[in-house]
Amino acid sequence: MNNDLVEELKIKLIDILNLPDVTPEDFDENAQLVGGELGIDSIDVLEMVVMVEKDYGIVINSQEVGEKVFSSLTALADYIRKHAQDTPS
Amino acid sequence: MNKQQVYIRGTGIVSPLGGSIAETLAALRENRSKVAPLDLFPLLQGSPLPVGQVRGIDTEPTLPRTHQLALTAATQAMAGYDRPPDAIVIGTTTGGIPTTEQLLRDGITDKNQYRLHGLNTVADELGRHFNCSGPVLTVSTACSSGAVAITLAMELLRGRQAENVLVGGVDSLCRLTYFGFHSLQLVDKNGCRPLDKNRRGMAVAEGAGMLLLSSEKKADTPVELLGAGLSCDAFHPAAPHPEGKGARTAMRAALADAGLSPRAIDYINLHGTGTPENDLAESRAVRALFPTPPALSSIKGATGHSLAAAGAIEAVIASLCITQDLVPANTGLRQVDPDLKLHPVTKPEDRPVTAVLSNSFGFGGNNGSLVLAKSGKFTQSTSKKTTNPLSILGSACLTGAGDTAATLAGLLNEKSIVGQADDQAIIQDLPPRLIRRLKRLPRMALSLAVNAYNRSQSGKKSLSIFMGTGWGALSETYDFLERLTTSQELFPSPTDFVGSVHNGPAGQVAMLLEATGANITTSGGDYSFEQALMAADLLLKDDETGVVLGADEGHAILSPLLDASIEPQPHVENLADGGGALHLGKMPRNKGRACIKLCFFHSCRTDGPISSLIKKLGGADTLQSDCGLVLTGIPAAAKKLGEKQLEQFIKLSSLAAPVSRYRKYIGEFASASAVTAALAASCLESGQVPALLTGGDPISLEKNKKILILGLGEYITAMELYRP
Repeated sequence: MNNDLVEELKIKLIDILNLPDVTPEDFDENAQLVGGELGIDSIDVLEMVVMVEKDYGIVINSQEVGEKVFSSLTALADYIRKHAQDTPS
Repeated sequence: MNKQQVYIRGTGIVSPLGGSIAETLAALRENRSKVAPLDLFPLLQGSPLPVGQVRGIDTEPTLPRTHQLALTAATQAMAGYDRPPDAIVIGTTTGGIPTTEQLLRDGITDKNQYRLHGLNTVADELGRHFNCSGPVLTVSTACSSGAVAITLAMELLRGRQAENVLVGGVDSLCRLTYFGFHSLQLVDKNGCRPLDKNRRGMAVAEGAGMLLLSSEKKADTPVELLGAGLSCDAFHPAAPHPEGKGARTAMRAALADAGLSPRAIDYINLHGTGTPENDLAESRAVRALFPTPPALSSIKGATGHSLAAAGAIEAVIASLCITQDLVPANTGLRQVDPDLKLHPVTKPEDRPVTAVLSNSFGFGGNNGSLVLAKSGKFTQSTSKKTTNPLSILGSACLTGAGDTAATLAGLLNEKSIVGQADDQAIIQDLPPRLIRRLKRLPRMALSLAVNAYNRSQSGKKSLSIFMGTGWGALSETYDFLERLTTSQELFPSPTDFVGSVHNGPAGQVAMLLEATGANITTSGGDYSFEQALMAADLLLKDDETGVVLGADEGHAILSPLLDASIEPQPHVENLADGGGALHLGKMPRNKGRACIKLCFFHSCRTDGPISSLIKKLGGADTLQSDCGLVLTGIPAAAKKLGEKQLEQFIKLSSLAAPVSRYRKYIGEFASASAVTAALAASCLESGQVPALLTGGDPISLEKNKKILILGLGEYITAMELYRP
């Protein structure tokens, strides 16, 4: 269950962040996401904010929250899981 | 030799503050914000965000809103001047997009209705209205456009290429900018509070500022433009350099150009958009240059941020501050952000204002600063005259055949090079991570620049970039609007918005080549590359280098709708695109392989433009002896007019050299002349011209023979390439 979301997010991020040379297998979910090796920056963060709202119905609009949420793929998955419970689906 | 002085002869303004100089002055004195919820177009979701909307202008249904705003302000600036201006320079980012986005929503496929989409159509409209027969230029460098346009106009006057220039900036509110800045989370939902501790962003706005600049001093020219400075952060596509490095360079260059020390400045009109990042970076740049900063404020809390218009509107306001001895307040400020360590003016103050520094910064790390002062208060510094020609240090092109080598091979084998360059050919020399977010046009620009740039001859001074594009990044623009519509305005793409700005590709080039000099994108329709070359010639000084490029992408949906020279429903294989780039330097003659010169840029509105052209090229005798080949660009939409002009040119010059029409073998797209220039550079190097280029037999070019590239149609342009 946990891993399903992580794997799903890997595929989504590779797509929306245009990372054609990265495969889900070599996407390290615990590595630093923003400002890390993948070269992900503030514009990518905004693109991920849109994806989280569109696909999971969770709104992230404060910069401080954003920084924590996108610190790693694991952190993002945890945030989605936690907040998905708050909203009836 | 003393610099030619540049006086402000007329000003015009339309902004949320009002539709005249008098209304603007009254609003500044009142210190009241005119930022209010948008009601220009209906929204599908939520409540409207605060914007700076222009109220009460006559809506002329035949013109897009941007054109109306420009015409209104330009009419004010031209009042009392009954001759046509010698040149027009306009900065804009929106052009006809407010009309286009509605037409696309309504599914309109009649291309005639899109004819005023191009950014150039704003300046062209002014050219027609004021009967200007000289160069009519359009620059698009995001939020620094107004300041960059004024810089180019000033150089036209200093170089004595014009005596009176109408210049300004204009943008109108539209969905692209409204939702675009919102998608970047750069909009403050509570209005705009520049420099405030609690600032949350900008307010997108609209307006126009226009100035009639003149080299003649008159009794009614109390203000002069003393200097300008341009730079590029070469750091990030949308965010400023955190230390304001480029901003500091631009301010320092403007002061040096004006011959003033920081102490001479009485007031700094800040860019001050109200975004946390801009205001912090700008404050650092100001403090680095001014140990004790003078009075300073941002007026964007009152007006909002009118993007390409801002630099021109604020130049008009700076001029007003000088004539009225008024320092406007930092409207909307409650509690100044202590981290900025600045003390903005909180109430309008009446005090003597002799010299003003005005800042404008934008996407692509594009920075422009202007210095204005009371006329005659400062003696203009002497300037070293630029004497070297533009030498070609490197060149590259992209065509349907592929890169430069593939294109030259195609020409030699007499194979068609018309079409769209293969994506693989475009990206072959580019790092994959660098281009992951980039679509077709920025990729083309990077490929062209990398292949034309001759690192061994780059010189010590910072590199500048000049890019001409008729239509800008069509893929990003289309995709942004499409996702906005299909998501019911819920999920506009921040990536596509940043990529959609016309100067996005040139900003990417700057980051890759670490080009921290001027960074100018021109968008003059079929004459965009020629305008970029003119900008390079105006701004590069001796021993400085720059990359001048022209590129356009063929977009299956937008190109046929927007470009009058492309048939309404072309077969995909008939859609062509490509571009060309030259690495140029103002080098002493013997250093360059070949030289290029823009000899002529006029509208066809003048009487006898062809005889003026021949005269400018040295007369019929010189043309007969020096010209080895004429490559002619006649856009399909101007075929009848262009052919007539060409016939007249051949008749009046009695030219015997081969004449060919390059769009036949390069394709119909706005920057086909950039490809032609790159190919002509290759021909001069080898001394051989393949049959496809001559339109007849292959020829050998004698050493003293020049290649002439003519642009015909609505404008008449001439570029000469020759060996030193």
